[in-house]
Amino acid sequence: MIVFDQLKKNDPYLRALTLAVLLGIGILVAGLWWVQIISYRHYTENQKSQSFRTVRIPAIRGKILDRQGVAVAENRPSYNVSLYLDELREEFRAEYSRSRQPQWVTNSLPFWKRWLGFNPVKKQYSKLTIPQRRALEAQVRYRVASNVVQQVSTILQQPIPFTFGDFMKHYTNQLALPLPVLVNLDPQQVARLLEGAANPPGIDLEIQPTRYYPGTNLAAHVLGYLVRDNRSLEGEVADFNFRLPDYRGHVGIEGEFDAELRGKAGVKSVLVNSLGYRQSENVWMAAEPGKNVVLTIDAALQQAAESALQSAMAGVVKGAAVVMDPHTGDVLALASSPSYDPNLFIPRITTEEWRRLSDEKLKPQVNRAMQEKYAPGSIFKAVTGLAILEAGIDPAEKIYSPGFIRVPGRNKPIEDLAEKGEYDFKKAFIKSSNTYFITNGTKAGIESIIRLGQRLHLGEKTGLLSSQETGGSLPKLVDVRRGWIAPDTAYICIGQGRLDVTPLQMAVMISAIANGGKVLWPRLVQRIVPADPNSDETVIQFPTRPPRDNLGVSERTLAITREAMLADVEEGGTGKAALVPGMKIGGKTGTAQITNPRGQIVGHTTWFASCAPFENPRWVVVVMVEEGSSGGGTCAPVAAKIYRTIQKLEAEERPSVASNDR
Amino acid sequence: MIHFPVNEHRQPRVDWLMIIAILGLMITGALFVYSATMANESAALTPWYNQAWVRQIAWYTIGSCAMATLCVVDYRILARWSLVAYVITILCLIAVPIIGVDRFGARRWIDLGVFQFQPSEFAKLSFILAMGNFLSRPLDELKLMRVFWKAIGMIALPFLLIMKEPDLGSALILLPVGLTMLFVAGVPPRYINTLVGASGILVALILIDVLFAPPQWQLKLEDYQKRRLLTYFGIDGAAANATPAQKAEARRTQRNYSYNVDQALISVGSGGLMGKGWREGTQNALGYLPRAVAHNDFIFSVIAEEKGFMGSVTVVALYSVLLFTGIRIAGQARDRLGKLLAVGVVAMLFSHVFINIGMNIRLMPVTGVPLPLLSYGGSSVLCSLIAAGILQNVYIHRRS
Repeated sequence: MIVFDQLKKNDPYLRALTLAVLLGIGILVAGLWWVQIISYRHYTENQKSQSFRTVRIPAIRGKILDRQGVAVAENRPSYNVSLYLDELREEFRAEYSRSRQPQWVTNSLPFWKRWLGFNPVKKQYSKLTIPQRRALEAQVRYRVASNVVQQVSTILQQPIPFTFGDFMKHYTNQLALPLPVLVNLDPQQVARLLEGAANPPGIDLEIQPTRYYPGTNLAAHVLGYLVRDNRSLEGEVADFNFRLPDYRGHVGIEGEFDAELRGKAGVKSVLVNSLGYRQSENVWMAAEPGKNVVLTIDAALQQAAESALQSAMAGVVKGAAVVMDPHTGDVLALASSPSYDPNLFIPRITTEEWRRLSDEKLKPQVNRAMQEKYAPGSIFKAVTGLAILEAGIDPAEKIYSPGFIRVPGRNKPIEDLAEKGEYDFKKAFIKSSNTYFITNGTKAGIESIIRLGQRLHLGEKTGLLSSQETGGSLPKLVDVRRGWIAPDTAYICIGQGRLDVTPLQMAVMISAIANGGKVLWPRLVQRIVPADPNSDETVIQFPTRPPRDNLGVSERTLAITREAMLADVEEGGTGKAALVPGMKIGGKTGTAQITNPRGQIVGHTTWFASCAPFENPRWVVVVMVEEGSSGGGTCAPVAAKIYRTIQKLEAEERPSVASNDR
Repeated sequence: MIHFPVNEHRQPRVDWLMIIAILGLMITGALFVYSATMANESAALTPWYNQAWVRQIAWYTIGSCAMATLCVVDYRILARWSLVAYVITILCLIAVPIIGVDRFGARRWIDLGVFQFQPSEFAKLSFILAMGNFLSRPLDELKLMRVFWKAIGMIALPFLLIMKEPDLGSALILLPVGLTMLFVAGVPPRYINTLVGASGILVALILIDVLFAPPQWQLKLEDYQKRRLLTYFGIDGAAANATPAQKAEARRTQRNYSYNVDQALISVGSGGLMGKGWREGTQNALGYLPRAVAHNDFIFSVIAEEKGFMGSVTVVALYSVLLFTGIRIAGQARDRLGKLLAVGVVAMLFSHVFINIGMNIRLMPVTGVPLPLLSYGGSSVLCSLIAAGILQNVYIHRRS
């Protein structure tokens, strides 16, 4: 090349100089190669991590619908006012220069400078140390921001608390995000803000979908509630600089199907400058809305069950009601009282409310239909009755009851609330005679009763909302064979002793009697559908499962039992309060004694378990009330109210309430 | 003086290759000073005649005129006045601490009302002229110890004065320039070896002293100079028995000081092969690369980020053309004076380029050395173009 001519010339000095320059340029090019080509990735990562902030955008939560398509949990728009600090930077600057007033000082200048025309009067600012300057800057920013907040407060006619601490916390931690000024504006405030031509700078109205339970307390225990949780789900991008407020389902359907309802969070990247102010935004990945969950619950029936339960007695009712389709196991209503309003958890539950929900005695959070176990009392005589009939004992055979029964191994006789007299099966059933069922139950054998209990899967969970369920307890056959004494059997025969069940299990039990012996899996969720009905995403179906088990008793036995149940309501039995004109209801009452460790009776758990209509039962209704007076007095009227609602709903031209959605 | 060569085809009046390289650098400079300064919104609001890139182009024009004017006068006549220029420069340098103005914590400028000029920039030029003039004496005299010491004195005087300003970068430039000129002039190698060896040991001792010695034994360096050295060597400067809090504080300070270099490296590195495109560089636009230095000392980062490895190599290639044509001019010079002047200019330009680009990729510590013709700044642009004018002058008056 022409520039290298001198290398050929015989000038060692210049040759050395050329080599030195060549070497230097070689070093530079090699260095550049290293930095720009080899280390490119490293420096690009550095550049990205310092200038991009990723923000997690929560997805819109899916709805929860009842079997008619009525939303029981949905989203409503919440209007929030946000302040974009990056749009206030000019104001910050102006305010800063206002708060640093310059002084005019006259310097004595050397003569030649004055001669050259230099002005001796000079503008001078008082000198600040770096910490002083930082403090002043922070004060200035807060002053500007709080002025804006004050203006917003005037427009909205609502005081807005805004402390220096809040502001600094946001400024240091979340500068790239807008500062939330006020959340959950009412419609009037929204209107005021929208019509205001003189809105302060940096203010923006944002719409955020917020969880909303239109029925307030309706099916609260089934739905569950949300808790504030911005964390990423497994399998999501987990590495965010900022997270927008998000919620996680805690219990109930919200908790169990959180992954489906929650959708997939999106990612927004905010480009920030060296001071951390937002420069621009870009949505990298849009959030995918959550899927809708369709329940087997019928909202109207649920509402009826809840209000019927409320009316069971004066004061706060502690109890549960279950309505089930005995052919499919579909849970049509699952009420528990006392209840709570899951809306209280949005955006955050107050300490006071939480204390109320954690009341030791009332336990409003507990789903009494499946989370608490109770002695079934006399409603278990339906099972004892099955064992007696299967053992070949003639239902017409009569037994005399003196009004109590002595059981070997127990000093005190077991009382019988049924008056003394002769009892056959039907009379014993409708009068709930302890003497009859203990005598004949013992004859049939405890093992056959336990076997029936096992086929009903008592003592086991039904798998409905597993985190909120208890299995109850049922003695094992092994227990019965060793160290088992006669009083133990006697107590099991009348549904007390070492036996605990949930109202849901009792609904399964009555369903089995009603449907010809099939022990069903209860079902609460029908299907999960994509938020967009036109999307090609698949619908996840939860079809009715094949029966879990079979009672293994003859149809004759079941028919006699059903007739006895019908008689209990219609022929002046203990369940006569459940009588509803135009509907043939069969039921069994129960009043279980609750004893303290010293054997004294401290209260009663009252029950009414029923099914209707008699010819072909399509509904099973089980009502349980803690500390009620009696099954017939407290629970049977509740069931009657529920049946009346069913009647009314049937009369309306609605798609059949119990239609098997298959 | 002005003569007309007979065969103009083989003997062009000026070195066009160099002119093209200089033009290329000036265009690049204007483009990227624009890119570096216009990213700032407030810069766009200033009147056009006050915008940095317009001023830079104005300085290019003034510098080009100065360059052309310089070519008219034979360098031998210029050299005769070199001593006068040298003395005026020294006086200016002495005057700076007295009547100079402060900017960015250093007193390097003299306010002339219209503009502020930096005597240290012009000191480099007058030093080259004076040194060239001094060393162009007969070869035998150069072997005298007395002459050698005089030459050393000529280097030391402006060196110490500029060092005092403080402007470590400009002062250090004088060393390779002086040494190269001594070497090419034909001063016996043993003198130079001794000098290089001695100064090498001196620098090493200073470094060890500054970096590792206990405080009471340390040289009194300006705080920022010490910081820059510590930053370059990645030492946080905390005492061995410091508390964790003190150590953390020292590390934090060090991170603050190394901020510019770190950001420059990120800019250069994230440019990759092709760069992000003109005016698309984020490091500068978002203010990570400090706005105060992006358009002058760190203009190379802006170019490297926006034009990538291709762009930075193009810049290096343009400088190479400038430097090698300079060396060729030295080889073709009519006399030793011309050769020495050309070599001095080449050494000066090369030192600037190497130190500045080296600083952008962390090969060199941060010293405020501008990149010739690219960095924003009147004094620097004017000096670089005058230096190029000296080269052209030597070329025009080369041996036929």
